[in-house]
Amino acid sequence: MTNSLLFGISIFVYFFSMVLYVSYLAFRSDSLGRVATGVLWAAVGVETAAILMRWYESYALGIGRAPLTNLYESLVFFALTVAVVYLLMERKFGIKTAGAFVTPFPFLIMAYASLNPKDIQPLVPALQSNWLISHVVTCFIGYAAFAVSFGVSFLYLFKVRAERAPARRHQGTTLTGYLPASDVLDEVGYKTIAIGFPLLTIGIITGAFWANVAWGTYWSWDPKETWSLIVWLIYAAYLHARITKGWKGTKAAYLSIVGFMATLFCYLGVNLILSGLHSYGGA
Amino acid sequence: MPEDRKKTEVRATLVDTIWDFFTSLKLVIVLLLILSIISVAGTVIEQNKPLQEYYRMFKPETVELFNKLGLLDMYHSWWFTTCLALLALNIIACTMERYPFIIRGMKRQNPVLDDKLEAGLTNPATVTYTLPPEQVERRLAAMTEKVFSGRPVVTETETARHLFYEKGRYTRLAFFLTHLSVLVIFVGAIVGSLAGFKGYVSIHEGESISAVPTRSGGNRELNFTVKCNSFQVDFYPNGMPKDYRSDLSVLTKDGKEVLRKTIRVNDPLDYEGITFYQSSYGRLPEAVTFEVRGKDGSTLGTVSSPFGKQVDIPGGAIKIETLDYREHFHLSDGSEAGPVYGVNIIRPGAATEGIWVSETNPAMNRHGDYTFLVKEAKFSNFTGLQVNKDPGVWLVWTGSLMLVAGILMAFFLSHKKFWIRIRKDRKGRVEVTAGGMTNKNKHAFAGEVKKLVDGFREVS
Ligand code: HEM
Repeated sequence: MTNSLLFGISIFVYFFSMVLYVSYLAFRSDSLGRVATGVLWAAVGVETAAILMRWYESYALGIGRAPLTNLYESLVFFALTVAVVYLLMERKFGIKTAGAFVTPFPFLIMAYASLNPKDIQPLVPALQSNWLISHVVTCFIGYAAFAVSFGVSFLYLFKVRAERAPARRHQGTTLTGYLPASDVLDEVGYKTIAIGFPLLTIGIITGAFWANVAWGTYWSWDPKETWSLIVWLIYAAYLHARITKGWKGTKAAYLSIVGFMATLFCYLGVNLILSGLHSYGGA
Repeated sequence: MPEDRKKTEVRATLVDTIWDFFTSLKLVIVLLLILSIISVAGTVIEQNKPLQEYYRMFKPETVELFNKLGLLDMYHSWWFTTCLALLALNIIACTMERYPFIIRGMKRQNPVLDDKLEAGLTNPATVTYTLPPEQVERRLAAMTEKVFSGRPVVTETETARHLFYEKGRYTRLAFFLTHLSVLVIFVGAIVGSLAGFKGYVSIHEGESISAVPTRSGGNRELNFTVKCNSFQVDFYPNGMPKDYRSDLSVLTKDGKEVLRKTIRVNDPLDYEGITFYQSSYGRLPEAVTFEVRGKDGSTLGTVSSPFGKQVDIPGGAIKIETLDYREHFHLSDGSEAGPVYGVNIIRPGAATEGIWVSETNPAMNRHGDYTFLVKEAKFSNFTGLQVNKDPGVWLVWTGSLMLVAGILMAFFLSHKKFWIRIRKDRKGRVEVTAGGMTNKNKHAFAGEVKKLVDGFREVS
């Protein structure tokens, strides 16, 4: 099927962009940097084409559904959103040297996804809903934003440690020396959460609305729902700490890391470890 | 100090302490994190299972302890509810505390750029022009209009003309929207659980119901009757279910049809605030034909047993009644025994005995003097409907919309003000001072102002 071929190509292009970003970190040549960004956009383009192709092919199979409903498809979509959120942040904040640490993620997620069953399965009646797309897309862009926040928060912690170590302060030649300035990383860590939080909120609400249409209960405390609430509460705490108590830098970075751990559990842990309504991962 | 004054003072400080506690910004963060940690427990210990399942998973002491602590239904436990109530009080107190500041921030207009204001501006700039003042004003106003939509408030003072632009004043209300929304959602949930009900009913094809057994153990009478005209299920070629649908009619008490709709999963039927959701389906026998054998194994004859009706068996002194059916029966050792029929045996002068009659395993069907064999069964489908009334749900969706609108407003919009002051400097040239102020996203705003003011510099 054409979609598998395109997905295969996109894995390769992600890999290539990762190599270019790492080379950019090492050589810091502007033209190399531009090529790296271009190749990552190309990977995003190929993958988008693959997803659209898969959608189209599902119609050809007489199933006709959005490609967002099993573990394979969700991982693939997650890789795409991580790459896009990163690219937008790179564009806005000029943090290209962080790319070497972010681009491995779409590549690894795609590689992991390819180990999962890829056939296009039809949808059970509960999933046949117009709410599927808005629910899944908003949740996943939210997750991707949190992932990017996690990445830059992690880099932030390295960066401040290097900046605080006096002996090495002026050595631009170490790896951390190349990273964007710590206050930029801190700002990007916050801005990405400010994007992710409203999207997760919309994702939870559309999910609740859908559950109410399908089962007559907007909230049933099943593990997936509860974990999405946990994630939401952690980021709400982050925002209050930051806006009202001025938590910045290290404390905020740790909270962002905790938030992403919870996000990961919400996304994968619940399906692989706990059981519930959303257990596509176990299937 | 007189005693009673002392008392009121003590009371005042107590009130202050409580107030400080509830308006504390630390409390918000602590509560949000505590709620998230507690919620984790509820996903690790599965909630609201039948008690015997817990006994299978844990030691009896552990189950009793969990039960006492409310850990088996923790989202309804008193301590979880208390945390939510604290959060609600916290929100109410915070909102009251911030109310005057927010209203003041919305009302206050300083259309005149005086020295005090000028000191607090973001990126203030002064530009001098050799053009006539009217022309300067016209051209700067045209540029500013594109950034801060709308007309300026123009004020003439002794020495200068002041143009004041404002945008997004009402975004200051975002605080109310986000925080009150949480209360609205809570109220919606409470209204739903107090004034609504949840139930489940199954209806056979061609039959109707006018009452619903509720989850809380009651029986809810409806003002109308719901009839299942037919039920259908489709499968994909690989055997997965594709579509369940029930053709339902709503009838008044005197039998007039007022509404007819085919419901499916994700497309329920709504009548008088009560919603019927396609939830499950199954089939029950309409009539089963049993062959009855006597003690010596010889046949006594066959009997057709209509579902739910007592019939005499041939050549015997007892009646039977078919009351139940299981497609996949599990024996006590867990093995599967195929389809079984639940039958009551009614003996004159003795207690009624309930038995399972197996279709595939006649060896288990000997009961006293008789053995039953299933010869034939006619089935009819039934549809399983979740039936809900939730008069609070619209509040939940209103609160949700408020929440999303509030968050988007809070993160992506801000209250922006911009001033242009035009006056003559000592040499008689036109001197323009301009700058802005905002309550949020100061960095982006500074860039916006800088771009505008850079444009001003190019006017000549
Ligand atoms: C689940 C409950 C809550 C949610 C979802 C929530 C949500 C938010 C959001 C999204 C913001 C950022 C938007 C803004 O700046 O206006 C915010 C800010 C804020 N919240 Fe909350 N909040 C909650 C509870 C509380 C409580 C209980 C308090 C009271 C102590 C509180 C006090 C504040 C304050 C003071 C700000 C800063 C407003 C500003 O300076 O602009 N929040 N909240």
